[in-house]
Amino acid sequence: MNRSTKQFAMAAALLALSSSRVLAQASAGDDGTYFIKGGTIVNPGGQRLVNTNILVRNNRIVEIGASASASDAKVIDATGKYIYPGMIDANTGLGLQDIGSVQTMSLRSELGDFNPHIRALVGLNVESELLGVTRMNGVTTVVTSPAGGTISGQAAMINTAGWNWEDLSVVKSAGMMFTLPGGGGRGGGGGGRGRGGATANPNLVSDFAQFMAESKAYDDARTAGATKLDLIYEAMRPLYHRDIPAIINANSQQDILAAIAFGEKWNLRVVIQGGADAWKVRKTLADKKIPVILSSLEAAPTDSVPYDEIYAQPGLLYDAGVKFAFSTGQGSNSRHVAFHAALATAYGLAPEGALKALTIWPAEIFGAEKEIGSIEKGKMANFFIVTGDPLDLRTQVSYVFIKGRDMPFDDRQTRLYLKYKGRPVPIKP
Amino acid sequence: MRSFIRLCALAAAISAPVVLAAQDLAIKNATIITITRGDISNGTIVVRNGKITAVGGADVAIPAGVKTIDGTGKFVMPGIIDAHSHAALENGINEGSESVTPEVQVQLRNDDPVIYRALAGGVTAALLLHGSANTIGGQARIIKMRWGQPADSMYFKGAFRIVKFALGENVTQASSTTPVDEKRFPMSRMGVEFTVRYWFQKAKEYDQEWNEYRAAVKTSPNTIMPRRDLRLEALCDILHGDLKVHSHSYRADEILMLIRVAEENGFKVHTFQHVLEGYKVADEIAKHGAMASTFADMWGYKVEAWDATSYNMALMSQRGIVVSVNSDSDERIRRLYQEAGVGVRYGNMPVNEALKMVTLNPAKQIGVDKMVGSLEPGKDGDIAIFSAHPFAPDAMVEYTIIDGKVYFDRNQASTLRKIAGDSKGPGGTR
Repeated sequence: MNRSTKQFAMAAALLALSSSRVLAQASAGDDGTYFIKGGTIVNPGGQRLVNTNILVRNNRIVEIGASASASDAKVIDATGKYIYPGMIDANTGLGLQDIGSVQTMSLRSELGDFNPHIRALVGLNVESELLGVTRMNGVTTVVTSPAGGTISGQAAMINTAGWNWEDLSVVKSAGMMFTLPGGGGRGGGGGGRGRGGATANPNLVSDFAQFMAESKAYDDARTAGATKLDLIYEAMRPLYHRDIPAIINANSQQDILAAIAFGEKWNLRVVIQGGADAWKVRKTLADKKIPVILSSLEAAPTDSVPYDEIYAQPGLLYDAGVKFAFSTGQGSNSRHVAFHAALATAYGLAPEGALKALTIWPAEIFGAEKEIGSIEKGKMANFFIVTGDPLDLRTQVSYVFIKGRDMPFDDRQTRLYLKYKGRPVPIKP
Repeated sequence: MRSFIRLCALAAAISAPVVLAAQDLAIKNATIITITRGDISNGTIVVRNGKITAVGGADVAIPAGVKTIDGTGKFVMPGIIDAHSHAALENGINEGSESVTPEVQVQLRNDDPVIYRALAGGVTAALLLHGSANTIGGQARIIKMRWGQPADSMYFKGAFRIVKFALGENVTQASSTTPVDEKRFPMSRMGVEFTVRYWFQKAKEYDQEWNEYRAAVKTSPNTIMPRRDLRLEALCDILHGDLKVHSHSYRADEILMLIRVAEENGFKVHTFQHVLEGYKVADEIAKHGAMASTFADMWGYKVEAWDATSYNMALMSQRGIVVSVNSDSDERIRRLYQEAGVGVRYGNMPVNEALKMVTLNPAKQIGVDKMVGSLEPGKDGDIAIFSAHPFAPDAMVEYTIIDGKVYFDRNQASTLRKIAGDSKGPGGTR
């Protein structure tokens, strides 16, 4: 059953039953037992498992293999199809913003320069129409981040379906978003490619240095047994203990090196966000094992660089041994992160590198590799079933599973599609 | 007398001295996507003097001495046409001082690097439109991407004259922070509708005045000539079908509105641009005879884009509308082939129907489909050569050819791998 036949089946179901009842049941998927039979599993870095079965129960993959079976399961025939781990967009505003031009639907930034205490997770709207559209193209997980300021706040790694933000969460605090003062970033989470810029606060550099020193002193005191809480400094402690990464927005070579030096000074786990010039320092990034979240490949280069710089960079990073992930930086077209990977593949990224950068690498970067990023026994059942390579535009998506739930194709765009596909030809007066 | 502007354009064309370097070229052993005559495997295509002379299988003879590209493993398709761009324009794209300015025309800047980057994405022609600040904006330029040529030599001869209309949020400055008492009329969709009606009423009266004068002057040579008005003259050109309307539009209500206002006033909407809710009034668009040029996946960035869907391309095509997918962006113009493929992912459009959206269909929308948009004998030698099928994940443009002349050759281009001095790694040499 391909995507369109599945949609027709859904349309028929809508006609047969009260549509409100169907949609109410369907809105976050069904926690059931599923037996997916006969598909080919394509894992990052692994061999293809041809004509195999997957048993899903209680949100998890409980068995994989030709011998797996269950009598109580809903059977899904994946014969002739491919099963990929759910794709991950490593930086978005999903759940925090819907229509970008409407301020009340776009609450991604807080006031102030230093906001480590701000958490994306608690501001997420699970009914965001953007989430529905995103998941139906196989993007099951995204990192959503606050934006603005020097320390924008804590990003969350979330699934693109769930009943509330707790259910949505994969990693509650996935990293701290930074845009270092004096550098060239254009906002923490926006995915800008700027290589130069200025700040409004003339004392920002010294204010930030003071903030870092005081929060580190606070952490030392707390480690030594102090009990008085400061909620803002307290939020910095997981960084100093290397429990979460510092995700530093840096695009120019100079800013990337400054971000690395900053991380070394404060003994932080650094992840570079943006990374327009990352290829220029790829050996340094590889040697120091510093990963990169690439900003959107759907961007126009500056006039002084090779026309293919943006498309060809991922291939250079891969060849140099730098771990990286793709990101769209926004929300509405997070669904098409695979097409960014396709551009990179066309311009020299090995196909296995593209798959890793869409799945297991972002899982590793954000500490979720035991839960997601590949199809393995015990992991969260995040995967999707397709007719071919998901990077190929001709491929059709047949099923999307998120946290073991078979997600219905009832996103905003599919609903409108079905409604107007079924519009009768107007009767001529 | 009908169009002073057109006379000027004609004079410029006559005086342009540059003879374009049309060339001979052949490609063999390639998969040829003709668009109109199916795909040919192990195909040959021959271009002589800038025009395609033969398209066929391995048996097609290549005349001696013609430069030949070995297309083994490669895919050859017509040069990509972008039916909505603002690249390569000089000093702004909006004459925003008033809401009705069809007398102005956008001006070409021939050294914009976007032209080169578009070539590197297989683009050979583009419609360069006025912006969307005005209800009735300025006139467009249509170019072939002849990078390195003088501006006069880039114009696509024989293409339509096109004027830009705009409806909805942009023209009403809906998201502008300008105080209400400083805003310009119209500031609502209702006002936009009245603006179009008001100006076409004036244009019809002006046209009538001139018709009466022309009739009267035959018998009374001393009849006083009416005062010329270049704005109304341009609107009369629309009424006479000499200037084609491409209208920026988002919502179904405003699309239907313009169709009805056009029909009441005796002109035609040639192509709706963006037309994100075109799928809701597809039958009405088709019946009016308008075409549609849309985005592949842009949605949700403003309220009027909230009901946009990537299925729009498939739905409008199914209802008989000629659909193109455009860039409207210096970024998307680099990968329009990918944008067309989104029509396959959403709604499962047939692959070559989707490819038509960046070749033959935009050619129809800018009036050059007799010359370009498919690979057939007699048409211009405007060709893109891909490393793989344009919808495949490893599709990259290797050559872009206009009038038989190679304007982009990946082998000659400055690429990141060459700059980085890292020609071969596990990912290969690309």
